[in-house]
Amino acid sequence: MEHHLVGKVVKGMAASLLLALGTSCVTVRPEQKAILADPTMQFESNPLEESARQHVIENREAAYGGGSVQGGGCGCN
Amino acid sequence: MRLQLMLNPRARRRGRRRSFAWLSVALGALLAPHARAQVADVDVRTSVFNEPSATSKLTVIHPGAAVVVRPTSWLGVNASYDADIVTGATEAVKRGRLADIVTQASDFSDTRHVVGGGFSITRASTELSANYAYGFESDYKSQSFTVAAGTDFLQKNTKIELSYGRGFDEVCTTAFAETDAPSNRQALTSSDGCFSNADDRAVREINLDTFQAAWNQNWTPELNMQMVLTGALQNGFLENPYRSVEIAAAGDAALENHPDNRARGALALRLKYYVRPIKTAIGFGVRGYRDTWDILGQTYELSGERYLFPWLRLLVRGRYYAQTGALFWSDDYTGGEPETGPRGQYWSGDREVSPLASYSAGARLQLEKSGAGEARVFGIFRQLRAAAAFDGIKTDLKEFTWSGETPDDTLALLFTLTAGASF
Repeated sequence: MEHHLVGKVVKGMAASLLLALGTSCVTVRPEQKAILADPTMQFESNPLEESARQHVIENREAAYGGGSVQGGGCGCN
Repeated sequence: MRLQLMLNPRARRRGRRRSFAWLSVALGALLAPHARAQVADVDVRTSVFNEPSATSKLTVIHPGAAVVVRPTSWLGVNASYDADIVTGATEAVKRGRLADIVTQASDFSDTRHVVGGGFSITRASTELSANYAYGFESDYKSQSFTVAAGTDFLQKNTKIELSYGRGFDEVCTTAFAETDAPSNRQALTSSDGCFSNADDRAVREINLDTFQAAWNQNWTPELNMQMVLTGALQNGFLENPYRSVEIAAAGDAALENHPDNRARGALALRLKYYVRPIKTAIGFGVRGYRDTWDILGQTYELSGERYLFPWLRLLVRGRYYAQTGALFWSDDYTGGEPETGPRGQYWSGDREVSPLASYSAGARLQLEKSGAGEARVFGIFRQLRAAAAFDGIKTDLKEFTWSGETPDDTLALLFTLTAGASF
């Protein structure tokens, strides 16, 4: 059951990746990035707080990796 | 030193003037053309983790501080400090559901310190960084080096980042020989004598390699995506040196015995979408995980963040995680497992390698006050920020028991406060 679900997740992500590659010419112009630049759109907007939470989670679960990295968002820095 | 003593006073003065001139030129070159780029960020954090249980009473206080200084527009230098102050109680011997003996939890406490530092170089659309961290506590030492390279392209709508980390850890154990049968190895009872020449102590190595590739993509003015692929290799002593596991019906226990190698892989996809009608950024994340111990994991995350005031925003988040157990996992190893089978060769008392699910929910309030343009808050700060967060985590252990009894320390509470300033 668990193996089946993980398989579905991996297939879903692979499909997303293919979709993403197929449409990689999509462009957001600089003047359209006001929302993307906002802190609420960042994947890691408070690294110290999120590292404390991640620290707790990693000590209670076997899974590791795939954590969010800074740099998501407007890419305007 | 000897050369300096041999110089006459005039030569020393000339040398000092020359050194001062060079230093001035170097500082001037470093700072003057980029005076407006000079920024320093200082952030501090304290988190308190608590398991409100009658037996474990685990409490971890996790203070930390980070400083980043950017003397020029292209150079960042960082330093950090973190600590874990841990107190609690745990059973030293993991007994299974068939056991007649119920062991009592014994108290423990320890403090771990981690200091780190590094730098980053940013040029046009490329960033390179390198970091080092050293951690130490009474029974464990760690060193890690991380290098990363990232680049933006397609009008900065796409960012790719690659990183590699190498860890050299050392863990204190009893002084068993590698040739001793695992069933004859004994666990530590205290950290006394660790990292000394004590005859009854030894140091085992753990080598860690972590590779990561991250892809960030802006799809629309309201949607961005992040995909992260992580691979990690662990080699060495991967057990808890204090934990014994009952491996015979007569009650005999031996030091926990895990495989020496573990390869781990994770693939995560995250999306952030700004919903204009409700002025809220919605985040969704999914992650798949698998390792060579045959643990499969899946994680789903959902969050929403919006402004309550221009200077205050609220984030609410929820998370679900589930994993299968390791191939060698058993809640009871006294049932006469075949010696050549996974549960005959290895035994574990670690709930993290047992099948489990976990649910968490939390919220964070974040305050940020920035100066408009070149203006400064209170005449000093480019930005002031502070946050308070709370998370509750409930773990559902599917098989793990202490002598047949379900542990009562499956609820965890985490409170975190952060504050920071940019100069």
